[in-house]
Amino acid sequence: MRRAWAVGLTSLLWLAQVCFAQEITPPQQVTAGNPLSIPTSGSGNATFYLFGPGSVLKQTAHLGQAIELRAEDLSAAGRYTAIVCGDTCHSASFFVTPSTVSALSFLAHPSRALVKQNDSISGVVFPFDKFQNLVTTPVTVNFQLTANKANLFSRSVPTRFGVVWFRSNSGNSAGLALLTASTNNISAQRALQLVASDPCNLRIKAQQTTKGILVETDPVHDCSGNIVPDGTMVTFTANSGAGRSTVDAPIKKGVARANLTPSGTTVISAASGVVMGNELRMDVKR
Amino acid sequence: MKLVSIGIFAALLSVSLAIAQNPPEVKLTVASAGPRAVESRTEQTLIRDYSAAWKSLADASETSSPALLNAYFTGGAKTTLSRELADQQKTSTHVRYLNQTHNLKAVFYSPEGDVMQLQDSAEYQMQIVSDEKVIHDEHVVVQYIVLMTPGADRWVVRQLQAVPAL
Repeated sequence: MRRAWAVGLTSLLWLAQVCFAQEITPPQQVTAGNPLSIPTSGSGNATFYLFGPGSVLKQTAHLGQAIELRAEDLSAAGRYTAIVCGDTCHSASFFVTPSTVSALSFLAHPSRALVKQNDSISGVVFPFDKFQNLVTTPVTVNFQLTANKANLFSRSVPTRFGVVWFRSNSGNSAGLALLTASTNNISAQRALQLVASDPCNLRIKAQQTTKGILVETDPVHDCSGNIVPDGTMVTFTANSGAGRSTVDAPIKKGVARANLTPSGTTVISAASGVVMGNELRMDVKR
Repeated sequence: MKLVSIGIFAALLSVSLAIAQNPPEVKLTVASAGPRAVESRTEQTLIRDYSAAWKSLADASETSSPALLNAYFTGGAKTTLSRELADQQKTSTHVRYLNQTHNLKAVFYSPEGDVMQLQDSAEYQMQIVSDEKVIHDEHVVVQYIVLMTPGADRWVVRQLQAVPAL
């Protein structure tokens, strides 16, 4: 009876040894870029495999001793599968999570915006660690829009699953504006050009020359007082007894000019976009 | 000699069967995407391209051909996966992604439409093969955070990162 018990117990111990042989027990989570020691049980040699995003390892392992993984083998965040194969194979999975933020991927739009426009500027930030893993834990990102040393917009927003965004109005003054996204001494900056909006009003003057009439505008401003950008078109119209003629002229350095060749009593006007200028009445002698 | 031929035939057959797998099944919900709404045509394109991306990943892994990643992966995702495939070649191992189902949820679509973040609750049979022998066979459910950006005629995967939970 005692012998039977002894045999039974020995068998159980052997079975337990087989069952628990070549077990590997990695932690559930590791931070990217840290070395890892995975304890094993059992005895003898086995083949160890590690399958993860960005790295695959195959090496001999001594069961009963820990398997040492280098930091560079665990740099990509994601799910890893560790397998140890002797007579049979045993596996365990674990996650490598991103490290701390070391760079911000900052998408800002547009590169050129009209002044005084609502919600015309937007930015999106993705925080990455030094291994190019997307940092998915919340990080507060500070957004700032400055132009001519004035702060136009400032806001702190936490990331959600590794993304954060903002939208802002453009300022009143034309010129270079700087958009900055920052967190913990890491920042990314984008430049954008704020340009004058549509003309607010037009005033024209004219003088008779040997070739006809030279018409030009006063410096053309938008409603915030910014000179409108070069290339903005102004249409000059001359109505006389001989008919109607129009000339489109681009603004250069704030002023648009055109030569008209009417005869007789002429009414000259100008328009740009939806803005009409003053009218001039001239008696042209040729 | 005959045995060797049969062995080679069996190996080739298993490879071709793995490649001939049905395309990954992708379901997409866009209701919670913002700030930009996802247009219906974009939705269809995303489903098509995400499925094609995973098909190309499975094929690239099965045949150890990093070039197959070029069409649907870019940036960090392509770099990481290419490195993984190079390591697979060195160690005569590869991963099989079988019977894939992806439940995609678009969670962020940038105001200008130039990047989309999605969450994928993926299910597949993962087989790990070493020297033509399956050493690991597991039905896995993995949560991924995905960044996709529009290319000339398709959406490409820029980041594919498994996370413990969403």
